Amino acid sequence: MMRQVPNIAAVLFLGVLVAFPFVYTAGDYDYVMHVLITAFFYAILASSWSMLAGYAGQFSFGHMGFMGIGAYTTALFCHYLWVADAPTGLCDEVEIFGTWFIVVDAIGVTSSTLTQDCLREALAADPALSVGRMPVLLGIVLGTVMGGLAGFLIGLLVLRLRAAYLALFTLGFSEILKATISAEIEVTRGQAGLELPSLYESGITLLGTTYDKTAKLPPYFTMLGLLLLCLGILTWLARSRFGLFVRALREDQDAAAALGVNTTRYKVLVFTITCAMAAAAGAVQAHYIGIITPNLLFLLQMSLVVAMAVIGGVENFFAAAVGAIILQVMLELLRNSFEVGGYEIDMTIWRLVFFGLLLMITLRFFRNGLLAPMIEYFTRGHVAKETVARRQAAEAAFEAGREAGR
Amino acid sequence: MESPLLFWGVILWMIVWGAVGSVVLRRRYLHRDLDTTNTVFVGAMSGAALGPVGLAPLWLTTPKLGNLLIIAPALLTVFLIAVAFSFADPDNICVTSSGFVASQAVNGLIIGIIYGFMALGLTLIFSILGIVSFAHGEFYMVGGMLVYFISAVWLPGVPPLVAVMGACAIAFLIGAVFERLMLTPMYRGKIDRPVEYGILVTFGLAFTMQYFVQAVAGANPVKAQRFIDFPRMRWPEDSDPIWVKTSRGGVTLFEQVSVSNPRLIAAVTCVLVLLALMYLLHRTWTGKALRAVSQDRDAAAIAGINPDRMNMLAFALGGMIAALAGALLVQAFSWLPQVGNIPAMRSFVIVVLGGLGSLPGAFLGGIMVGLVEAAGTGCIPDAQKAASYIPAYGMIVLTLTLLLRPTGMFGRRFAAGTHGKF
Repeated sequence: MMRQVPNIAAVLFLGVLVAFPFVYTAGDYDYVMHVLITAFFYAILASSWSMLAGYAGQFSFGHMGFMGIGAYTTALFCHYLWVADAPTGLCDEVEIFGTWFIVVDAIGVTSSTLTQDCLREALAADPALSVGRMPVLLGIVLGTVMGGLAGFLIGLLVLRLRAAYLALFTLGFSEILKATISAEIEVTRGQAGLELPSLYESGITLLGTTYDKTAKLPPYFTMLGLLLLCLGILTWLARSRFGLFVRALREDQDAAAALGVNTTRYKVLVFTITCAMAAAAGAVQAHYIGIITPNLLFLLQMSLVVAMAVIGGVENFFAAAVGAIILQVMLELLRNSFEVGGYEIDMTIWRLVFFGLLLMITLRFFRNGLLAPMIEYFTRGHVAKETVARRQAAEAAFEAGREAGR
Repeated sequence: MESPLLFWGVILWMIVWGAVGSVVLRRRYLHRDLDTTNTVFVGAMSGAALGPVGLAPLWLTTPKLGNLLIIAPALLTVFLIAVAFSFADPDNICVTSSGFVASQAVNGLIIGIIYGFMALGLTLIFSILGIVSFAHGEFYMVGGMLVYFISAVWLPGVPPLVAVMGACAIAFLIGAVFERLMLTPMYRGKIDRPVEYGILVTFGLAFTMQYFVQAVAGANPVKAQRFIDFPRMRWPEDSDPIWVKTSRGGVTLFEQVSVSNPRLIAAVTCVLVLLALMYLLHRTWTGKALRAVSQDRDAAAIAGINPDRMNMLAFALGGMIAALAGALLVQAFSWLPQVGNIPAMRSFVIVVLGGLGSLPGAFLGGIMVGLVEAAGTGCIPDAQKAASYIPAYGMIVLTLTLLLRPTGMFGRRFAAGTHGKF
């Protein structure tokens, strides 16, 4: 029975999360929903990072870079590709099955005047022209694939690198990506950011209720669904041979190779899968927020993901995900500044100081995180007792047998 | 750029032949059962420099890869890239003006000395504790902040020297206390994966320090006063061009190369402190003990050195070096709590390039990275883009080093001070 406590808790927690948007009706509904959506986003990143770092032992600091690849792929895709029913004659375009695919010129930030944006010019010249966006879902899928592909390539490159070198290399990758995005202003619009269509641009009808594109409920369930999907995939992987091999790789790469584990394949695979998850999360989040800037790739964001995973429990991705949700909600709750003896305490900054302290204390004194040991206590806490009891029983039987034999 | 196709064509040609060379030469040496340590690097460089012409003799004769064969193709590659660039973009200021090139080179050298000095702290920590300190940039930031606060807010009017020394002392203390509180369990084998633990816990320290400073000092940039004003002079009096001309804010050499006062002061101080550090490491008992621990921990312990005390000293000293670099540069740049990120990245690049744990490697690597950055910022035609790419130049160097020669220039293959595998 004890063993089922974490499962029951998980079902209850999930039940609360599913019921929450229907039950909660306070005035700050949109704000609370936004906090939760962001929490799910971080939960996906933290759990996939814990698979990469905790399970496979690959301490990558470039996870946010892969997230950024996903986000920027879909952003560029939705920004530059359009469909129309007739040729514009001004843009680069191709006809496929009667539909015209239009590639808009890259014009950067400073010049968004009519004469340089070929699509707007065409629309002004011909109001009858019907132009549509590419489907958002296709962009997200593309982003995920690109993230996975980048993860595959990086995984190939870092095969020979271990520990400290791996951390530095992935950090370097993330920094190069950020510098490139900030510098190539003509294409990515740099710090001005790229605008994206929202997840459900034309609204969506769920259970007879129609939600418009700014409603929080559809993205909430989209992100929650993605989180559950990722957790499901991770669980399936962890319980299969893959999980076993990857853990063997973490403990001792050479020994695992000697025992017949194809270390190259599993190292690359684990990179590909976790990076694709990060990219998917990034793509969905980018569409939900509606605008992305290179600031998404700041080291702070990576620090948050690492801290959430570590505080939850880096070797257990459920703990990492739940830890991320709880910490994100806590960080938002701690935002309120207050005054002590005339000094204004600016909690928007101080909460991060406490967060850092919590991270260090967790690392120092609770090496498996704060949540993972609790789960462990219920699922495996009885094992020690049972073993002792079994051993005592065996000993007693042995003693009894000896007594009888005398 | 006038003919970008030429330049990028040459680069592509180099990449292709470099990749071919690194793979083929390594296979060849493996096949002949020879030492493959440097094959990847030499293969890539001679392939990039000379293409098939460079690779064929190596492939046929498989010579012993000594220092000459390692250095010459690398230099030739750099030279060829420069030539290709000058042909592709003949109007560029880097090609037409030798004064500009000299100025960029001197400034690159000077900033490189400061980078190298900062990286020295990181490599000192690594060679003794076996961890990469992710809080190095934050020590740099704290050093600068402390100088500003001591000299402008807490004790207005104190001489800059006192402020700098105060900043160093406080940074030393922070490093020592952190090491005692957080890193000690690493040495007792209580932690399965000490390298990762070290990275994560210093990451936590960086996070805490950055936001602590932001909470206390606010997010507005601060800037310290110039430490010293140079006397105005020109020497020799009656020559043309004047060899050395100084004003309060800087020095001009041959009326071409100008170096600003704060950078020159910082570089000179760095060199002086470096000499003092070398004296400490090579001539005093403590320094010898430090080096002994970095070479072989157990043997040092047998010889009566307490390795734990050396750990504390190394971490504190490494942090102090970063803080000193920050303290010297706070007069040159405006200072923010986030200012440490870019120098930290640079230090990572430099220590990997020089070889993790190698002190001369860190210094030489710093100068090289300084020169690469000066070339990158000075020569790329679009100035705004060049500035945005500054963090990327070093990272490209890092990526190339890790791919071609992961031990770096002077890396020891088996650093005994490490607690884990690398």
